[in-house]
Amino acid sequence: MDLTLRLHALRALLLALLLAAPALASAQTMNFEEAAAILGASCGKDLDDNCRGVNLDPTRLKDCILRNQDVVSAQCKADYPRVFSAVQQRAAARAGVFKVCERDAAKLCGGAQKADMLQCLASAKRGVSIQCSKTIADAGYR
Amino acid sequence: MRRVNRLRDAGLLTALLIMLAAPCPARAQATAPAEDLVGALAGLETAPDIDIAAICQQALERPKSKATAQPVNRPPLVPELLKLPQANFDVLFDPDSSIIRPGSYRTLGRIADTLTDPALLPYRFLIVGHTESGGRRDHNLIVSQRRADAIRDVLVTTFKVSPKRLKAIGLGEEQLLDAAHPTAPVNQQVQVVTVGKVL
Repeated sequence: MDLTLRLHALRALLLALLLAAPALASAQTMNFEEAAAILGASCGKDLDDNCRGVNLDPTRLKDCILRNQDVVSAQCKADYPRVFSAVQQRAAARAGVFKVCERDAAKLCGGAQKADMLQCLASAKRGVSIQCSKTIADAGYR
Repeated sequence: MRRVNRLRDAGLLTALLIMLAAPCPARAQATAPAEDLVGALAGLETAPDIDIAAICQQALERPKSKATAQPVNRPPLVPELLKLPQANFDVLFDPDSSIIRPGSYRTLGRIADTLTDPALLPYRFLIVGHTESGGRRDHNLIVSQRRADAIRDVLVTTFKVSPKRLKAIGLGEEQLLDAAHPTAPVNQQVQVVTVGKVL
């Protein structure tokens, strides 16, 4: 009996994980528009009420939300960290991909530049370093 | 009867194709218009010679002349911009300020997605701020410049678009987007114009 219960619990956990997986995956590849839309929708009123005069700047907005955490809505508190981390991850990857993938590109893509080079690296079956591959994925370029 | 069958088959085939092409429909919808924007901004043939300092000077001088006092008598200040690849965006600000409304954050994200799309990485852009007609023209110039600067700052600091790729200019009400309706809100739109290649 005890074993059956445990199996049930395990099954429920597995199901929960399976259901949560796509949501986690989509959070990782959220584009700038989606991320910024969530911030505007979840925190718009909080920012209007408490952070007037602060522009869309992660450092300053985070500071202001933290300063006002006693009155900021639960929705905003739940969403703003994941929004900023998604933006930060994608922005860093997009800004740094050419540097990170410099050697991979020289090895695999000849003299290809910019878009051609990214396409070459994103479609290469093997030989791309883990770091370069991860940066291309974080950038949403695959 | 056969015709009906064929129609039904065509319908099924289309449905099947849509299902195959879009495993995740929500995402496909979100990316489709973004691709249009990339298309609108790509494909600059020859880089124009745009002297931003000179344009600013002209924009400051022009309100002093009586000839252009009426908005309808005001030709575009920088006609060469009209010929370049460009896209317009509705970005709302707090009144008389350069603080972007949270409701417009999505649009900023969209501009950032577009400018960092692989196909547009070789290009440089001009962010052009505008205002509708009303109030002092010299004040409108300043407000539109601050707003264009604010958008450029957000793109650079928040979304890490290379500052080398972006310049900002405010044209106030000197280049009305809808000259026939000088007070229409469409005149406040922000333009992103492709102006050259990254050196």
